[in-house]
Amino acid sequence: MSAILYRSAAQLLSSPALPAGSAVSNVTSVRHSHWFTSVLSLKTTVPLRAEPRKKKKVDPRRDLIVKERLKKKLKKLEKVPPELIPIEDFIIPAKCFDETRVRGTPRLSFEESERRALLLKEWSRFKYSQHQAETADINEALKAQTQALEELKLESEELYNAAVSPDLSLFPFQHQGPSFTPPLTNYEAPDGKYSDITRVYTQ
Amino acid sequence: MAAPCWRIASRPLWLKISGSVKICGSVRNVSCSSPQLRAAQKLSPAKAASPWVLHGAVCLQRLPVISQDRSPIEEQFMDMMHQIELEKSLMSDHELRLLDDAERMSRKQEADYDSDEEEDYGGQEIVTAQDLEDAWEQKLKQFQPASRTDASDTTDVSSSERCLGNSLVLLVKQDVGSQKLWLLPQQPWEAGETLRQTAERALTSLPGAELKGRFLGNAPCGFYKYKFPKNIQTESSVGAKVFFFKAVLSSGSSPLPLPKDSYAWVRKDELQDYLSPEYLKQVKRFIMHV
Repeated sequence: MSAILYRSAAQLLSSPALPAGSAVSNVTSVRHSHWFTSVLSLKTTVPLRAEPRKKKKVDPRRDLIVKERLKKKLKKLEKVPPELIPIEDFIIPAKCFDETRVRGTPRLSFEESERRALLLKEWSRFKYSQHQAETADINEALKAQTQALEELKLESEELYNAAVSPDLSLFPFQHQGPSFTPPLTNYEAPDGKYSDITRVYTQ
Repeated sequence: MAAPCWRIASRPLWLKISGSVKICGSVRNVSCSSPQLRAAQKLSPAKAASPWVLHGAVCLQRLPVISQDRSPIEEQFMDMMHQIELEKSLMSDHELRLLDDAERMSRKQEADYDSDEEEDYGGQEIVTAQDLEDAWEQKLKQFQPASRTDASDTTDVSSSERCLGNSLVLLVKQDVGSQKLWLLPQQPWEAGETLRQTAERALTSLPGAELKGRFLGNAPCGFYKYKFPKNIQTESSVGAKVFFFKAVLSSGSSPLPLPKDSYAWVRKDELQDYLSPEYLKQVKRFIMHV
């Protein structure tokens, strides 16, 4: 009862043209609502009846932004970490795990193992004394040079400066080291054939 | 007496020329003890003319051409190392092939040998690994390397091809003062050149045109100083200082056109037969053992 009264009061307010007597009826006149146009006029919807839409300048930019976002997402998916170049030295070739290649482990006699141990100790003593002699030689030569330079300094400054200045023509220094047999005079080494099988990796 | 004597004695080298060794406090020694004072003196325009005549000398070395012979302990150790390496190693393809061939041979010798049972037998000639080894050995025998030891050359001191396993130093017999002495080639220093240039001049002044030395740096490697005998000493030349420069022989193995007795290529242990003791003492310091 109160709801009907409320509804009729709302209708009264919205359509003041209505006569006061017909407040009870729920059916309002079609003409008086903007949702319903006249039957005689064209049937149009609200969007069609609106003003021609203004082309907002933000629109093309919005499209571009959307496209860029999509491209970035695509790039992130496509980003694969580059395959690392394998270090050939660290890969043990499969041949080493072949069991047919294992030699029979020889049983060393006690004398043999003793002999080896003693020889290793003697070798370390020999090498130590060799190293001591070498370092002593080097230090002696170095001392001789510093003394010579001191004496030269006492002699004349300019000669000393000339002696202490670096020699640029010395490096790069190359010298053919000792071989097992002396070189043969007038020997022509034959050309060796070889096929280079180094693997070249590109990232 | 004791203190000055000790200081003088610690200074290297007095060349015993006529058997008289002069130990006297010269101007030189006093100024040597206070280098700072001397530096202050140098600032004065009249540079204190040092009483020492400068010489530049070259220590030309022919470095070893072949490796040295192994000592007994080195031989033993080398053999032991080879043994251990062999024991710890795996068999190579060639060795496996050898074993397979040997096995196949032994199977062939058996009475009930059926060649059809053999796998991988193509019916043609198989080159066994042993055949390959023999072929390689034959090829190696065709090459004759030069011999390591040439006994004839070890005694000929004037040849630079002797003792290929050691480094040799060039000595020449030059007249110093009134005497002919064995020493490293030297030349007196001339004004306007560095001592290294003096040493280079010393090298080129030797008649051998082929001797080309590569000098190792601008700095001298050693020095030797000696006093002239009293009768020659003047105000400006009390003695001489020789500065040595190291050089490596880069080319030229032909004998020098000098008379045979006036030059020698010697090892470090043979130096004592040629050089005077005090000179030798200084020279030995910068010549390496090998």
